[in-house]
Amino acid sequence: MNLRVVLLVVTYSRAARGSLRNVCRTHEETVVRRFGRVALLHETAFAAFQALRLRAKHGSDVQIERTEPFNEFEAVDEEVRVAARAYGERETPSLPYATFAARNDHPEPGDLRDREL
Amino acid sequence: MSGQENAGVDRQGDATTDSQGDAATDSQVTDSADSRTTGVAGGSVVVETSDCRLSGRVIDLRERTERAVSAERVVAAVRRRRGDRVDEPDEETTVAGPDPQADMGGPDLVVQCPDPGPAHEHVGLVEPGMALRTRTALAAAARSRGVSPPQDEELATVRAKLADLSVPEVDTQAARERLAGTESAVEAGRERVATIRGRLQAARDAGRETDELREELRAAARGLSEVETERAAAREELERAERRAREARDARDRRRRLEDRAANLERAARAHLVDTMREEYATAVAAVPRSGVSDERDSGSVAPFDADPVTAALAVGRVAELRAPVVLAVDRFESPNAAADWLDAPVVRV
Repeated sequence: MNLRVVLLVVTYSRAARGSLRNVCRTHEETVVRRFGRVALLHETAFAAFQALRLRAKHGSDVQIERTEPFNEFEAVDEEVRVAARAYGERETPSLPYATFAARNDHPEPGDLRDREL
Repeated sequence: MSGQENAGVDRQGDATTDSQGDAATDSQVTDSADSRTTGVAGGSVVVETSDCRLSGRVIDLRERTERAVSAERVVAAVRRRRGDRVDEPDEETTVAGPDPQADMGGPDLVVQCPDPGPAHEHVGLVEPGMALRTRTALAAAARSRGVSPPQDEELATVRAKLADLSVPEVDTQAARERLAGTESAVEAGRERVATIRGRLQAARDAGRETDELREELRAAARGLSEVETERAAAREELERAERRAREARDARDRRRRLEDRAANLERAARAHLVDTMREEYATAVAAVPRSGVSDERDSGSVAPFDADPVTAALAVGRVAELRAPVVLAVDRFESPNAAADWLDAPVVRV
């Protein structure tokens, strides 16, 4: 089992949420975590089967995605990590990031928005 | 059939006063040999089976029919009437559609009676082994008595919003399938190009003829380029579909929140309705005649909402306003008449 990748199942109706809850209760070993109408399932064909079964029943009220863990040391440049840490430790909590970045030579928010991971 | 034209008159009688309705029915029953009316005041019921026609406020089918008529068939026939009426246009607003159980009664069982109200759905059939959602039934009983909870107005608004909300259906499956096909085609094309390159290199090194292999390589490269173009198009298509799906999910999320809101209001409304009936219901539970068979929940000391389903259904039936007959298949009362008196409702005993 690939532990680095999980299936993300999001439900968009009460009925679909109820079915997801039932699946999670019945197959605890398949569930990494469940948050209300969302669940993370282990990357197995059985989990995929359960997710597809939900979609067969509830159509577009069930969204299935594949996610992988976020590694900031792979995904972003160092300056982004440094900026995040520095802004988290700022002395004036009300200071907007844009101002903070301009004063301390961190990447601007607009610039960050344009960068893909 | 002869009873059909009388039905409208019966209902008019019920709409004015109960006793009038009863009297009117007495005079309209034509098949007197099989008729049985009682002096009990209240709405009148006509049951026609293949072999008999019975009318009155209390009808005992056990004595009157040669073949046993199942309780389910009778209650289905009572409820089937809801969709049949054409003489009262306001009925359209309360009838959701044809009763799915309508066929259960069969063509040879017809029941004429006042329309079943909100409580009948829950306690219109009382039989051994029945299930009952007591609080839901009691809430319906409160509604049958004309109680309307303060949540109704907002609930109507939320339901109207839900009805107006359109959620676009976006199918991303075709786009995913197309892309998955091109991914493997690109992979296969690359491998093919690499293999031919290897063979070409080997031929050159060995000083063999390479024309044919070079032509093969060109063809493979063309093929690879084609599937790569197809993959790019498939990726774009999937991206577009996913963008649309994301927007559609926003609408789905709005709908889900409204559904949650409606469910919360329904729960609150039910709690309010139950509260208005709680004491009357408890009194009724205590007054339900006990069955001969001992049941641990039948000891008389259980909490009202833990009463066995038959006891609970009878108690709900007693506090509810029931105009359509209760189909009774339990031996709690001395007679069907006693049951009708106790419930203050028409009764069909099966």
